[in-house]
Amino acid sequence: MAISGSNGMSATKTNDTSLTVKNLGKTYVTNGESHEIFGGIDLTVAPNEIVSIVGPSGVGKTTLLRCLAGLLEPTVGEVWIGDRRLTEPVPEMGVVFQDYSRSLLPWMRSRENVAFPLESKGIGRAERNRMAEESMAAVGLDGAGHKYPWQMSGGMQQRVAIARALAYQSDVLLMDEPFASVDAQTRFDLEDLVLDLRKRLGVSIVLVTHDIDEAVYLADRVVVLSGKPAGVVDLVEVNLGKDRDQLSTKAIPEFAEARTRVLRQIRREA
Amino acid sequence: MIAVKYGWRFLEQLWLPVLLIALWWFGSAASTNPFIPPLSEMVDAFFIELESGRLASNAFASLRNIFVGLFVGVFLGIAIGTIVGLSRAARSVLNPYLQFARSIPQVAIIPIIIGAFGITAIPKIWAIAFACIWPVLLNTVDGIRAIDPGVRDMVKSYRISTPRALFKVMIPAALPQIMAGTRISLSVAVVVMVVSEIYGSTEGLGYFINYTKGLFQMENTWMATLVVGLIGYLLSVIFLIVEKYALRWYHESAK
Repeated sequence: MAISGSNGMSATKTNDTSLTVKNLGKTYVTNGESHEIFGGIDLTVAPNEIVSIVGPSGVGKTTLLRCLAGLLEPTVGEVWIGDRRLTEPVPEMGVVFQDYSRSLLPWMRSRENVAFPLESKGIGRAERNRMAEESMAAVGLDGAGHKYPWQMSGGMQQRVAIARALAYQSDVLLMDEPFASVDAQTRFDLEDLVLDLRKRLGVSIVLVTHDIDEAVYLADRVVVLSGKPAGVVDLVEVNLGKDRDQLSTKAIPEFAEARTRVLRQIRREA
Repeated sequence: MIAVKYGWRFLEQLWLPVLLIALWWFGSAASTNPFIPPLSEMVDAFFIELESGRLASNAFASLRNIFVGLFVGVFLGIAIGTIVGLSRAARSVLNPYLQFARSIPQVAIIPIIIGAFGITAIPKIWAIAFACIWPVLLNTVDGIRAIDPGVRDMVKSYRISTPRALFKVMIPAALPQIMAGTRISLSVAVVVMVVSEIYGSTEGLGYFINYTKGLFQMENTWMATLVVGLIGYLLSVIFLIVEKYALRWYHESAK
């Protein structure tokens, strides 16, 4: 999965990694009482696909994403990345966490933050820096590598976190409410960045959000999670293509239909 | 304008010490109490001992013990504190001993260490190191344990190798608490230095204080005591400057 091209990270990454979830369930036992968070979840994320997982707050979206990332062991079921069963975090997946202010290390410059995971991959310093600069350019942060995270706005910090996942050269990006704590305009910009990265770099993205507009706008398919324990109550196909626009796409009837369908499912089950 | 502003601020801070020293100077000038010599005699003693070289050689011995002892203590404190902070098992086994060891007044152990190992510099350095371990160790444990779960998730999901996670994530993240502990250890080191030299020594400022007292040279005893105070003060000022620089990210990101 070489990234090449003259103007930074352009197009030619071949991603044939699919993410498969089979009958996944998570149950916590506290004080002898067991609480099933979610169960019976089946899902496949094809290469280059964007799937958003939407559901009401507290439904277990983050728990599900942590299981997909290999950070949390599911109680039942399996997660497969390509042809390997997931038992721990793998290099094929990069995670963008909700709270960028905690996942970025404030004692490192943004370039060092982006390059840091590459050290443990055994990549040399010069190559690390080149990859970091390239990823920073891909998210529109050229020349900001010397800044510390706390010298940047929230939107810029989340771009750094996305650049870190890109530099890690993962095929699948897992994003947990990535834009929940930035202002509306920045949010639109970052959403468009996500669409752009999918198109240019060929990555697949699993995005957890509670924002229905965002879920529909970004995704090829929306997984609606609801109930207690949570399960997949609907799987909405969004056939709006890969080129989308904040103004015109959201005005298309198909967008409104998908949005209404998702909202109705959440309302009914919640 | 700025120069004027800082000039004023400097004057604002200066008048009180100048006044106090002047009061002391003139108030003690006619003193005949041998235990409270005039300040002028202490100043004279300072320059005499400075010229004789005795002050410098004793101060050097004391500073050497402080620095080596502090370094060893801080190093061990961070190392043990990190292990205890990361391992729940290590915590549950070691915690009672740690709480007991830190409850012993640090100077109480000096007679045992010097009695067992003699009056050379090495046992004193160990006494200082032993006293300096605890504030750093306990603060390191707190610092490591307070690391946000989000940071640990990042380390895990990006498969950061253990040494890198330790030295580039965990210890830097705990550095604000480690620094706070080290600051306490620094003042503890000065106390243990003085007491260990008074207890049994052939060099150092504590030795000089005790020795001149024995000779009834109270102006020298006072002078050396003031020098110890000054050294303690200067060390803490230097430490604050180092801390401000090393923790710039911490102070800036908290704004």
